[in-house]
Amino acid sequence: MLQSSNSFARLLAELQKLPGVGEKTALRLAFHLLKYPENTAALAESLGEVLSRVKFCSICFGITEEDPCRLCSSDRDETSLCVVEEPQDLLAVERTRAFRGRYHVLQGALSPLNGVTPDRLRIAELMRRLEGGAVREVVIATNFSVEGETTALYLARQIKPLGIRVTRLAHGIPLGSDLEYVDAATVQRALEGRSEL
Amino acid sequence: MEPTRTEAIVLAAMDYRESDRIVTLFTLQYGKLRGVAKGAKRSARRFGPALEPFARIDVELVVREGLSSLRGADIVTLYPGIRRDLRAIGLAGYAVELVDRYLPDGAPTPRLFRLLSSYLERLDQGEPLPSDRRFFEANFLNILGYRISLDHCASCGVELPATAERRAGASGMILCASCGRYGASVGPEAAALLGRCLATGRFGAVLFSPQSLREAGTLLDGAIAAHLTRPLNSLVFLKQIEPD
Repeated sequence: MLQSSNSFARLLAELQKLPGVGEKTALRLAFHLLKYPENTAALAESLGEVLSRVKFCSICFGITEEDPCRLCSSDRDETSLCVVEEPQDLLAVERTRAFRGRYHVLQGALSPLNGVTPDRLRIAELMRRLEGGAVREVVIATNFSVEGETTALYLARQIKPLGIRVTRLAHGIPLGSDLEYVDAATVQRALEGRSEL
Repeated sequence: MEPTRTEAIVLAAMDYRESDRIVTLFTLQYGKLRGVAKGAKRSARRFGPALEPFARIDVELVVREGLSSLRGADIVTLYPGIRRDLRAIGLAGYAVELVDRYLPDGAPTPRLFRLLSSYLERLDQGEPLPSDRRFFEANFLNILGYRISLDHCASCGVELPATAERRAGASGMILCASCGRYGASVGPEAAALLGRCLATGRFGAVLFSPQSLREAGTLLDGAIAAHLTRPLNSLVFLKQIEPD
């Protein structure tokens, strides 16, 4: 049977390494791939292409095919730098079209409980960029989890002595939501960060 | 099985599959347990930010052998004061990791629950004091049955009067000056203050001087490390953010 096939067993094992894919999902995906060989060949080709062409930008550490990336080599505002945890967070900020500065991707967040310490992130590279002197404001856009907050506080402590303004994304009630369904902690944060009308 | 409600402190949390989270909880009623919160990453209504490390929550769950099933959680507090202070985050992480690593599953320990809650409240209220950390550790070891014997030499058993010079032995044991001649000194003041830590249950009641803090620290660090098979991640983090 198929499960006794080495190549099929290897495919199942590789699929199960993907986030959120267990044994059953891997089996379903594998049969789907076998059923549509043209799509599978296109997927295999695309995976190979990604592996050979996509890399991290040597300046901002976002994903790119050219180094430096399009964002780092364009004429965007050099005085403003937005720091995010992961490349997908960069895309989320970029989608807003509200930020015209440059980016720096940390490739993770500090986590006291999981042993993620400052030396395991792209913080040294960030500090070297700031020593250049062009940046006047760092916008910290890490997540609002314990790890994200820890990272934001650590960065603020490192950057403020350089005389650079450090700001944090605002947080509070999501747009379009009813106050009565928002959890107390979020309402409390929103109250603390209230602004003048 | 019927769902039940209990107070809990989140010791650890990790993402699981597409939208679930597996959390380790220290509950008042059932002790330490691990549970799965299905859809926690998707459903802000059922869990919101309640499953963040060191959050204090009121949790509804079905208790099972192995993995319990979390049905929902209300936040008692996320300790906003802690989340505004890098050192407080490190110390809160240290406290919950210590409880997670020492406590076996399913052993209700209400005294330890109260101690941990009080320490988190203390960290939430203001400047994190080194004396509070040592107060927490001394009482933590005491509650779990690893109390440091301050009155007798752990090697020869000789009684140590209040004014006697003590030495810190391996594994955080107190030794007399003769048995522990190569160990770090633990002066009468440090020994007396450690004794007071165990006699009062109130944070802030005991303040160590810089010297007694160093001596008590050597002793407590040794006693805590003696029962662990690998170093605590949070201690490595604390050392990086505040080198000695």
